[in-house]
Amino acid sequence: MAVEIHAIPGARFMDPVVLARIGNLELVSRAVVDGFINGLHKAPYFGASVDFAEHRGYVPGDDIRRMDWKLWARTDRYYIKEYEAESNMNFSVLLDVSKSMDYGSRGITKFEFARILTACLTNLVHHQRDRVGFVAFDDDVVEFVPSSAKHMETILHVLERVKPGRPGSLKAPLHKLAEHFGRRGVLVVISDFYEEPDAVLDAISPLRFRGNDLIVFHVLDPSELEFGFGDAQPFEDLESGEQLPVVPEAFRDEYRSLVQAHVDALQRSFSGVRVDYTLLDTSKPLDHALFRYLNSRSRTMKIR
Amino acid sequence: MLQFLAPLFLVALAGLAIPVVLHLTQREKKQIIRFPSLMFVRRIPYQSVRRRKIHNWLLLFVRMAALALLIAAFARPLFPRASPLVLPGGGAREVVVLLDTSYSMGYGDRWERARRAAREAVAGLSVPDRGSVVLFSSGSEIVARSVERDKALAAVDTAKLSAGATRYAPALKVAGSILSDTKLPRREVVLVSDFQSNGWRGEEGARLPAGAKLTTVPVAGQVDRPNVGITSVALTRQVVNNQERVEVTAGLVNRSTRPVENLAVKLEMGNIPHGTQSLTLPPGASSTVKFEPFNINSRNMRGVVKIGDDALPTDNAYYFVVSPAQPLRVMVMDRGTGESRRFLLDALSAGDSPKFETIVRQPEAVSDEELRRSAVVVLNDVSIAQNVARRLDRYVMEGGGLLVAAGGRASWPPEVATLPGAIGNNVDRRTGEPARISVLEYGHPVFEQFRGPRNGNFSSAKVFTYRSVNPSKDAQLLARFDGGSPAALERRVGNGRVLLWASALDREASDLPIRGIFPVLVRQSVLYLASYRPDQASVTVGQVLDPSVAAAPRGAPSAPRVVLTPSGRRVPLQDEEAEVLELSEQGFYEVRGATGSEPTVIASNVDPMESDLTPMDPNDIAVAAVGEPGASDPSSGRSEPLTPEAQENNQRLWQYLLFAGVLLLGVDTVLSNRLAAKG
Repeated sequence: MAVEIHAIPGARFMDPVVLARIGNLELVSRAVVDGFINGLHKAPYFGASVDFAEHRGYVPGDDIRRMDWKLWARTDRYYIKEYEAESNMNFSVLLDVSKSMDYGSRGITKFEFARILTACLTNLVHHQRDRVGFVAFDDDVVEFVPSSAKHMETILHVLERVKPGRPGSLKAPLHKLAEHFGRRGVLVVISDFYEEPDAVLDAISPLRFRGNDLIVFHVLDPSELEFGFGDAQPFEDLESGEQLPVVPEAFRDEYRSLVQAHVDALQRSFSGVRVDYTLLDTSKPLDHALFRYLNSRSRTMKIR
Repeated sequence: MLQFLAPLFLVALAGLAIPVVLHLTQREKKQIIRFPSLMFVRRIPYQSVRRRKIHNWLLLFVRMAALALLIAAFARPLFPRASPLVLPGGGAREVVVLLDTSYSMGYGDRWERARRAAREAVAGLSVPDRGSVVLFSSGSEIVARSVERDKALAAVDTAKLSAGATRYAPALKVAGSILSDTKLPRREVVLVSDFQSNGWRGEEGARLPAGAKLTTVPVAGQVDRPNVGITSVALTRQVVNNQERVEVTAGLVNRSTRPVENLAVKLEMGNIPHGTQSLTLPPGASSTVKFEPFNINSRNMRGVVKIGDDALPTDNAYYFVVSPAQPLRVMVMDRGTGESRRFLLDALSAGDSPKFETIVRQPEAVSDEELRRSAVVVLNDVSIAQNVARRLDRYVMEGGGLLVAAGGRASWPPEVATLPGAIGNNVDRRTGEPARISVLEYGHPVFEQFRGPRNGNFSSAKVFTYRSVNPSKDAQLLARFDGGSPAALERRVGNGRVLLWASALDREASDLPIRGIFPVLVRQSVLYLASYRPDQASVTVGQVLDPSVAAAPRGAPSAPRVVLTPSGRRVPLQDEEAEVLELSEQGFYEVRGATGSEPTVIASNVDPMESDLTPMDPNDIAVAAVGEPGASDPSSGRSEPLTPEAQENNQRLWQYLLFAGVLLLGVDTVLSNRLAAKG
């Protein structure tokens, strides 16, 4: 197995196959996010606000500007004042749990990958004291956790419970959801987008109407990209159950070009409406996705 | 010709069609690949796929062969044995008949059948042939060696059952030596026995000469008759109102496959019934019965635990002898105060079985009678004059034990060379670091008790004063002080032993007396010097008469002694050679010494293991003795059913078939995996 060299220390611990084996999503997401943040060397957030939270004892190295001198005068002891970080952003992950996501050829299914990604993103955002929410959908909304600063645990619990099972479609559930996201925030859609690019765009667009920032992760298994099957065998559609005889050797080149065209079309369509689109390969580490998210956040903040 | 034990299994050969059907149908089925979406695949125009024709004839053949072998294994094939007594070659024969006379042959009608089989073997001798008859149990006895037919027949007719246990190896060795000596071209051994597994412990070096034939004749027959044996008798002594009492506990085992109910177990003391207990034993179970305690009034009280007759009567009685516990007389010689011998007397008063009877005397005040009655004399830091030393030397020569504790006051005349070393200067270590005992001979009986971990620590004992000792040539060094000076020495003088401890046994000389190891050390030393051996209630048939039991008491004039066996035979014990007398009968042996003295009685019992009739495969012996399975006697082979093990052995072919079948299945797996990988 080739060892990938990552720019960020700790990123090698983000191999999705390894993480999928851990099982405990909270543990996984905390490990990934903490490691990721440590790897950046610089905290992505700086906690200062006006909401007083608590006092704590001074330890050498603390900024003396944050020392409570009045308390020192009363008690002759050094205390540091701590504040609640501000939380003013709504963040929701919209996860596709249709049957087609339940596919994996390299030890991890797309769904497991997406689930870990969701947990990590939610945890990262939760670290920043933003409000987190979660939606699972197939051809309808399956789970809905409204955005809240206290919903981190609930989301992890729902993530553990949810299973892909039914055929999916984007339009019906996403249009329904667009009504719910009244307040401005960040929405992340994770799906394998097995629909025509126009239909996808049509389904996604309403989510942007209330000024939400939209980030789209297109999750695909390496087999779906490469089509590296050997023998002539019948293929069965996971969602419809339809069977087709396939000779992969003969199909491969044409299939690849079709998939590439699909990805390009999606890229084009999304960038046209200023939606950030990222194609994720389940065999690649998660740090790529997390970076993508932070990049897009910083960019949209600058623009605003 | 090949036969099958379970031919119905061959019907399963029809199952051979299964791999053919699988081969025919398997190719039609394809493994379906489940794919997230056929959205893109659907857009690619369908191309017809050419079906591959695969002809895996090898795979098909391997599968069918594996199945056929498995079915054949289940059908249990066997080759009926050909008659084994058709021997190749010609010429005169030397036939050795080994006839098992162990007491288990008394079970049912085994003995009659065994004698009949032995007679038949001998009766087959022609004029130039020679026959030998060897009776064996735990030992073996050649009753006829290379004789004509009639003499051999007479030897078989006079054979009697013994009380011994079965041992095949000695008998085979005797047969081997007879065959090695013969000049006749054909050598045969006929082994007539019930083939108990207890009698065979592996090969044991019992190999017959090359070219010899071994024929085994099992006479075990049916073993489902009730058979209870008495395996042990335990005696528990107790003292009630100054009267010693003994409680008898007998262990019984039911060796048969039938339950035995309301079995009457009787205890007789000196031919007088003492008590009866009733017992019920399930098949294969063992149990114990206790009898009412009785007083020990005299020496050599004879007891028997009995049950009624069953299929094997020999193990239905257990004999034992019980005598009053004899205290061991110890004489302590010293001149000091009570303080100096307090620890020594305390140590000697500790413990039972045996108790010590201690008397304290000044060296000059000891009478010859007192000295003769003492098993051990302890010189407790005392100066010995020359005349006393000579008496003690004589005492040790006659078998007495002498323990010398050499403190500051001890001395011994150098003219009398009894001690294991000359006692030298006094070494004073009271100031500074006290001496320690550094080297100890743990293999010696005195120190053996301390060998294990946490069984007493000598190295922490402090010795403040001791005497340097110059060891004599034949002394054995048992312990040293840290300076290298001897701490304990032993020497054998005549029939007795002398132990020298190079320090006093009081509190001033060392802190040993206040340590837990001290009473054990004193007790072990005295027991060793007295050559003490605990009374045995009984011995097992096959053991040799213990010379010390038969020995005349110390100091008494050596008188001609006679052993009276249970069957009433008188065996004189006069010279040293004759003292090795094997106890071959069950019951009470009496050793009678000088006229008027009380005889010593020894109870002898049969080996309880022999009543375990579990059979073995006679071929095991044959393989060990001649390197190939032995022939079975056809005359008895027809009448005697084979043991289950022997039957199993004859039908072993199925194991090879099963193994080959499994092997082929493995080959099949490898082959199909390769084909799958290629495809």
